[in-house]
Amino acid sequence: MRDSGSEDLIVKMSQVIKEYPLGKLKVQALRGIDLNISRGEFTTIAGPSGSGKTTVLNLIGCVDVPSSGDVQIAGQSTTNLSDKELTHLRLMKIGFIFQSFNLVPVLDVFQNVELPLLLQGELGASERAVRVKEIIARVGLSDQLRQRPNELSGGQRQRVAIARALVTNPALVLADEPTANLDSVTGNTIIELMKELNATQKTTFIFSTHDPKVMRQASRVIRLVDGEIVLDNDGIEGVVEATDGRGEVGS
Amino acid sequence: MATIKMILLIAVRNLWMARRRSLFLGGALSIVTTLLVLLMALSQGMSDNMIHSATTLTTGHVNVAGFYKATSSDSSPLITDTSKLKAIVEESIPEVDYVVSRGRGFARVTSETGALSSLLAGVDLEQEPALLDVLESAPESFYKEGGSDTIKGDVQKLKDPNSVIIFATQAERLEVGVGDRLTLRVQSFTGMANTVDVTIVAVARDIGLLSNFSMFVPSEVIQELYQLKPDTSGAIYVYLHDIDKSAVVMARLREVLHKEGYELMEYQPAPYFAKFGTVSGEDWTGQKLDLTMWSDEIEFLTWILTALDTVSFGLIGILVAIIAVGVMNTMWISVRKRTTEIGTLRAVGMSKSRVWWLFISEAALLGLIAALVGVLCGALVVLTVNALEIRIPVDAVRAILLSDTLNLSLKPDQVFNAVGVMTFFTTLSAMWPAFKAANLQPVEAIQQSE
Ligand SMILES: Nc1ncnc2c1ncn2[C@@H]1O[C@H](COP(=O)(O)OP(=O)(O)OP(=O)(O)O)[C@@H](O)[C@H]1O
Ligand SMILES: [Mg+2]
Repeated sequence: MRDSGSEDLIVKMSQVIKEYPLGKLKVQALRGIDLNISRGEFTTIAGPSGSGKTTVLNLIGCVDVPSSGDVQIAGQSTTNLSDKELTHLRLMKIGFIFQSFNLVPVLDVFQNVELPLLLQGELGASERAVRVKEIIARVGLSDQLRQRPNELSGGQRQRVAIARALVTNPALVLADEPTANLDSVTGNTIIELMKELNATQKTTFIFSTHDPKVMRQASRVIRLVDGEIVLDNDGIEGVVEATDGRGEVGS
Repeated sequence: MATIKMILLIAVRNLWMARRRSLFLGGALSIVTTLLVLLMALSQGMSDNMIHSATTLTTGHVNVAGFYKATSSDSSPLITDTSKLKAIVEESIPEVDYVVSRGRGFARVTSETGALSSLLAGVDLEQEPALLDVLESAPESFYKEGGSDTIKGDVQKLKDPNSVIIFATQAERLEVGVGDRLTLRVQSFTGMANTVDVTIVAVARDIGLLSNFSMFVPSEVIQELYQLKPDTSGAIYVYLHDIDKSAVVMARLREVLHKEGYELMEYQPAPYFAKFGTVSGEDWTGQKLDLTMWSDEIEFLTWILTALDTVSFGLIGILVAIIAVGVMNTMWISVRKRTTEIGTLRAVGMSKSRVWWLFISEAALLGLIAALVGVLCGALVVLTVNALEIRIPVDAVRAILLSDTLNLSLKPDQVFNAVGVMTFFTTLSAMWPAFKAANLQPVEAIQQSE
């Protein structure tokens, strides 16, 4: 299965099927997905509601396992990994950005961003502090270090989440509709921030969205319909418009 | 470690966030802890009273007593050659505080208007000056209607020949006071009746139930009543610096006395007066020694403690069970409310065991803090009650508590145990919710927020 470019492949999905039980029946959320994503890509997954975007991201993020087929992350197959090993893989290789930001409410900005580093347990306190402050500066929140999530605006919270996702220098950052709970201007700056970090840190980003304006920022668009990839190309504007029939309906 | 610190920080802040809930649950925990402490203090206080009263009146920490049989059909609670035996005992116990010999008797006591039966303790004040420290004289009003609040008489006068010290309840029943005369009448061990007239030199404050049935006379009175040879007495009482060493010391004494050639009765944990019957029926003559501990001599009283402890145990058990349900329920609510947070933490790479710890430490902290507060309150109540010296108004309750004032006693290890037990059960109740939290699928948890 190894091809010449596999070392540079951060995600490799082969014949991935995902079924959900629905009473006595089963729904096929993904019907045989083949997908390769290389290091440094800035990819979006598009498609109508219920098309399987979240499911794909969950499988890549190792928070869920496929019904059949194989998902490889950075060359490592996840099929036979235990929960413990999957947790470790997530901790070391993957950063998450959520639609609802999902910060720990009782921790301040600094502590939220520090959390993954603490869990990794590799850096000492002073090194951690340097790294955390550096990344918080990158997302422009140096003045809010000691504020709690409920004291921040939505856009600021998502910046904290981005900082938390990036603080460990993960190989891959996943974001499921990161702008869905933000107004369009703020959403745009968040995507621009992600894009900038993608360019400077060479971090791979995969995010899903309904929003064609957001889609337009991506260098690659993968379009899902009914659990199948119907289009996969780099983000030429015309194509983006053409691939999402619903236009700007969004979420 | 830093992660532990972070987990504790999250736990503390979540307790604070839900402070009304924490306060309610913590308050309940504190109250139960206080109750636990008070019941323990009451039981310990009673136990202390019991030991104090018994070791003053009827027993040492360890006793070397015995039976003497002139014929195979009689039995007298006597030991002969007391001074030699006492010397051996003193020599073989380094833990000893002091050793005394006491005469023992049982008399019908009559005054001009009344009569009662009582055990007699024949003491030699030269040997046990400490006895006078524990015998507190009662003001006259304690035993005489319209009596004055001053103390009449002097316990020191027990040195006088034919004197007696009785207790307040006895004085009340016999309608006597200091200076009055009593007649002691005994059935001697050979079956003859003997009487001696004695003068009351002091009336002591009651020391529990036992003091209704005990009075002190000089040892010569016992000798005279029972027509004993000079070096004969009832028992040797050994008082130790540490009462908890009693069992060890008794075991050692048995060996030593056996080696010295004494005949020993088999160990039987019962008071000496319960053994008369069996010994009378046994087919031997001469002297045999019987060794007991203080707890054996009041074995007929300790059921009160057992009963109290059982009731306390049951009560606390029920309350702890109720609280455990409360803790479990609260933790459930917390887990459900924080599903998204847990899912996020799991997605970000927190292991199941750390999520488990997150919730466990929350419960443990709540339990620990609440228990500490509860213990503190309990200790304050104990101190206050003891300082107030509350007199118990009901005779029956006085008898059961073995004291005429309410006495609570708290030992440091009991305080630790109370904190430990409460924290343990709080934590235990959180196990299942914490386990559920740890096993949440991250994907389910994240979905809840979308
Ligand atoms: N836990 C689940 N149980 C049952 N069916 C599920 C579950 N999760 C997803 N599905 C189904 O799988 C299909 C794909 O869902 P998914 O959430 O991946 O779509 P999506 O593209 O993310 O949609 P949206 O844009 O609304 O977020 C849908 O038909 C959905 O109903
Ligand atoms: Mg979705």
